Amino acid sequence: MTQALTFLGLESSCDDTAAAVVRHLPGTAPEILSSVVIGQTDLHAAFGGVVPEIAARAHAEKLDHAVEAALANSGLGLRDLDGIAVTAGPGLIGGVLSGVMLAKGLSAATGLPLVGVNHLAGHALTPRLTDSLPFPYLMLLVSGGHCQFLVAKAADHFVRLGGTIDDAPGEAFDKTAKLLGLAQPGGPAVEREAALGDAKRFAFPRPLLNQPGCDMSFSGLKTALLRARDALIAEKGGITIQDRRDLCAGFQAAVTDVLVEKTRRAINLYRDLAPNDPALAVAGGVAANQAIRGRLTALCAASGLHFVAPPLALCTDNAAMIAWAGIERFRAGHQNDFTLVARPRWPLDATAQPMIGSGKKGAKA
Amino acid sequence: MRCALSRPDIVLAIDTSAAHCAAALLFGTHEPGRKETLRIVSRSEDMAKGQAERLPGLVDAVLRDGQVNLADITLLAVGVGPGNFTGIRIAVAYMRGLALGLGVPAKGVTTFEAVAMHSGAKPFPYWVVMDAPRAEIYAQRFPQGKACILTSSVQESLDAPVLHRNELGPDALVRAIAEHAYHTPTDARSRPAPFYLRAADAAPSSDPPPVILS
Repeated sequence: MTQALTFLGLESSCDDTAAAVVRHLPGTAPEILSSVVIGQTDLHAAFGGVVPEIAARAHAEKLDHAVEAALANSGLGLRDLDGIAVTAGPGLIGGVLSGVMLAKGLSAATGLPLVGVNHLAGHALTPRLTDSLPFPYLMLLVSGGHCQFLVAKAADHFVRLGGTIDDAPGEAFDKTAKLLGLAQPGGPAVEREAALGDAKRFAFPRPLLNQPGCDMSFSGLKTALLRARDALIAEKGGITIQDRRDLCAGFQAAVTDVLVEKTRRAINLYRDLAPNDPALAVAGGVAANQAIRGRLTALCAASGLHFVAPPLALCTDNAAMIAWAGIERFRAGHQNDFTLVARPRWPLDATAQPMIGSGKKGAKA
Repeated sequence: MRCALSRPDIVLAIDTSAAHCAAALLFGTHEPGRKETLRIVSRSEDMAKGQAERLPGLVDAVLRDGQVNLADITLLAVGVGPGNFTGIRIAVAYMRGLALGLGVPAKGVTTFEAVAMHSGAKPFPYWVVMDAPRAEIYAQRFPQGKACILTSSVQESLDAPVLHRNELGPDALVRAIAEHAYHTPTDARSRPAPFYLRAADAAPSSDPPPVILS
């Protein structure tokens, strides 16, 4: 298919309500004509985390506004589109359902093709949207909800090399911020404090580094941080500003060490594919952390890989990546009818061993 | 605006606020000075889950029954609850998508309004009640009360006759939603929103932050 395609994308799988319009003419770089993200941080602030019912309520009443804004910003109308792409999972099901139903309504009303997109595929295909990266490339997806290594072989073919067996690093950053009385979202707050702290003062564990493979674990790190904090409180009734900086620095160093070592192993596995032009791409909010990004950049330089980090606005949740993934899937011949199912769990690589929540409902991611 | 229409209003109504999927088409005439006979066709299916996958197909089926296309619809109506939170979001989100795509207004109708509509000329005052979780009921006194949550036991001692939502099956409910939307003024700017009546179940974080020593 060589014709230009213009897709609307919808994203509502966590706490961002997003819509975007992306156009692509084969042989040229894709163009993001608009990208609107309506955040919900304020709605969830009092609860120390994203509350699914609150998120679902907000998505249901904001999505159509986001679509209108995205169309207005793009200067296009619905009739100028070639298709509608929507996140159909994995994620908080109330929000995913709202997005899928809005997309079904729009598609029914306009006759435009509907394409259901895996949220993780959206992240994993972003390096092609921003940098036209050729397959196969290695992807580290590291956010508040996800952490995994993928080899992207095609728009509909991803191989998972490993991932977290419990929490995602972003979640651990948020929890750390909360335990230390820092603002949410915790990533930027912890990073700022860490820059002023002594990473060697507290000895935090590097979980699973002694195990082969690319799997990771971050829940024990949260517990270790809580214990270190409580020991300080027991000793003197609270923590000082410097204690907090040192705790943040120690925590961030542990996360970084784990990510970098596991990335090194993932690079070795990826190299077995003998890619012509090897590259590591990152996505997810944690990829915005400068300490982590710096170490990964150095690792890539030492290993002879390109390091591709999309701009922050395209690393965190957005709908441009969904529109783009929709274009790629549509070109690969995928399209959905109105029975498209919203899925809370949807592993990108269905053949890999389930890692999280592999109970009767199946693997989460 | 409505009275000036040269062609009949066609209202598409849907409801998934409980364990069903329901859709109706209402054909209005708006002939001034004459008593209107409204033609309504409807379909419903009982289902505990799967409304999100079934709803668009059911809407297609009712459009075929009425021998019209989506492009012929002039007004959209959706049951906004109270009811199953997920269910009412499914219908509201689908309707908002249709409204945006078709460029026609969409109106939310509460379950209370639908039941009152269905009761026709029943003299005021009366209460409309429906079962709610936790031994409570959702209730609204007509003509002018506000919807509220009451403990189930007070249902016996309400100060006016009681209409129970369960007296309407899904077809009657979705037909009443279509009629209510047809008979009330349309604000083209307003958008249907779920009518929850109950706040989201979420407790503020209980862990206090540590004392920061100076």
